[in-house]
Amino acid sequence: MLSLLEIAERAQKGPKMDENAWNMGLFRAMNELTQKYGILYPDDQPVFNCDDSMADNAFEAAIEFLVDTGIYCLSTGRIIQLTRTEIMDLIKGMPKQYAVGEGKDVRILKQRRLEEKDELNHCPGHHAPFSEELAPLVIKSFAEIPTCDYLEGINFSEVDGREIFGLPMEVYAGKREASWMRQGVAKAGRPGLAVAYYPINTRAAVMIAPIAREFGLRPSDGILLSVLPDVKVEQDYITTAIVWEEYGGFKLNGNGSGYVGGFCGDLGGAIIEGIVAIITGWIVYRDIASWGAVWPSTGFMSGQKVPVNFSEDWGTSVWAQALHRHTNYILFISPPAISGPGCETQLLEVARRAVGIPINGANVHICRQGRAHMNASQSPLEQEWAFEVASAVMHNGLNRQTAGELVRKIGDELRTRTPEAPYDDIREFYDMVHHKPLPEYEKAYLRTKEVISALGLTFI
Amino acid sequence: MTNGENQGALENLKDAILQYDTEAAKAAAQKVVDQKIDPKIAINEGVLSASTILHERFERGECFIPHLVMAGDAMEAAGYILEASIPKEQITSKKVVVIGTVEADLHSVGKNIVAMFFRSGGFEVHDLGVNVKASSFISKATDTNADIIALSSLLTTTRPYMREVIEELESVGLRDKFKVIVGGGPITREWAQEIGADGYGTDAYEGIEVAKQILGISGN
Repeated sequence: MLSLLEIAERAQKGPKMDENAWNMGLFRAMNELTQKYGILYPDDQPVFNCDDSMADNAFEAAIEFLVDTGIYCLSTGRIIQLTRTEIMDLIKGMPKQYAVGEGKDVRILKQRRLEEKDELNHCPGHHAPFSEELAPLVIKSFAEIPTCDYLEGINFSEVDGREIFGLPMEVYAGKREASWMRQGVAKAGRPGLAVAYYPINTRAAVMIAPIAREFGLRPSDGILLSVLPDVKVEQDYITTAIVWEEYGGFKLNGNGSGYVGGFCGDLGGAIIEGIVAIITGWIVYRDIASWGAVWPSTGFMSGQKVPVNFSEDWGTSVWAQALHRHTNYILFISPPAISGPGCETQLLEVARRAVGIPINGANVHICRQGRAHMNASQSPLEQEWAFEVASAVMHNGLNRQTAGELVRKIGDELRTRTPEAPYDDIREFYDMVHHKPLPEYEKAYLRTKEVISALGLTFI
Repeated sequence: MTNGENQGALENLKDAILQYDTEAAKAAAQKVVDQKIDPKIAINEGVLSASTILHERFERGECFIPHLVMAGDAMEAAGYILEASIPKEQITSKKVVVIGTVEADLHSVGKNIVAMFFRSGGFEVHDLGVNVKASSFISKATDTNADIIALSSLLTTTRPYMREVIEELESVGLRDKFKVIVGGGPITREWAQEIGADGYGTDAYEGIEVAKQILGISGN
């Protein structure tokens, strides 16, 4: 199997290409592959794919892309070229399961089968900004989620009362984030729980500095090293991956996604891009797990209504099935919401996305809040709600067909909603000291649960 | 030439752009010139009206970023031919935008969309990519005599690099020469005001409208 050093060398010595030429070449290649392999949304517009050959074709298209086009290194402007044999050999080396954390808090992340009913892995967390006085409490409260297998980090703009600006402050802030994470999980009574560092920014120094056995990131912890959109990678990430590989920490790809409307083109291109992004994360950074899906590249933040587009659910299912049928990869899917922190509608959004998680053989990732801002993003409630819905889907024995019907019903309900005014601060709707929603938000949760129950999902 | 023939030539020009066909756009522009249609009318009714349609298509998910790139190529090629027939003293030069994601930030999707909106909206765009230092923004803006510097950031911790661009512009005495607009996930109107930016857009649609507004350009 090719080493990371070999990859680093190819990123340094591969053929040179202008970024614009890469972007448009990507578009042409994805267009051709979409046509050649027939990666098209079927006329009957299913929510989940039930055609194995579609998943196989999408996987083959992704491999063909990697062999013929390669991976673009943004920092060197060079292409990392790989042969089919090298790629297939690397794919064989993907771990099917991976232990994270220490002592009594060790958890096994594992690849799930499609429609599987075994316990899900759960990665709650933040991916959102908090002030330094609130951060430790937020971390503790999320670590108190009983099903949490590892916890992803936060972002912030000040440390020790100083603005984070310039490399020295960024490095220092990175170290503080790691220590706050470690303290936060310890306060929750889970000192060995793995934390996944959410980089303050993407400089190698900032990503490497928090490594420290005592008060920083341990070899049992992880870091987010993500593939960039349009199949691009970057040298600071490669540098960090090499250091982390030797240290023993796990690495995660925060972008195993394809973006409809980006340089990959349409839905078919986005499916292929998503598969390529997962494989690329493993090849270039040795990311052992990834979260991703097929998303729109625009229109996500605009407008009052929540967009409901089942073709993207279908695209996500083809993406997941392709990876399951041909790799050992550990997948997470995020059930994000865009209607705003503390909104009742966002609980419906989370439910809609969470249904697909076990159906697609994925695990539960962060309920990212599309309209997050300082001290206002997802609370532990949405995270527990996503897990509750996904677990109920398994216990109800739903399959692609029946889960598709449920998603369609939730989507229809969402189309009738106009999101309520969001809250400005997490403390306005969630009590982090006692790890419970405030009364109004709890009522919103109970109402949403009733809606989902009425649509046919039984909660145990 | 009859009005109908002139209208037909302008429609052909618009259609060529909407089909992302550079060669056809060049041929249509040449025909406009040959028919002695006022090139300024052709730019407005043939080229810029196509951009409005493109932006609407993009919003509806009927065309994608690469289509905006190809349409921008076609518009540019047609524009050269049309501008060549305008007397020099009457040429209104294109507004120039220098755009990029600020230092230490590698996020590109939103920035790419905004860049393509500007380009297909008739602006001359210099996209510096991601992880761009303040000095690079200023140097490119100076070299290209830019009207606007557009800054993108998707991380709370990289927002200060937007302010750095503005402060460096001030320190080298160039602040009044360029309008600075900002956007991205963690960026708010308040932040834009706090750092002294001239404009802020919540998305690509608003971004281009704000830019036109601060440059005193009327909409299409």
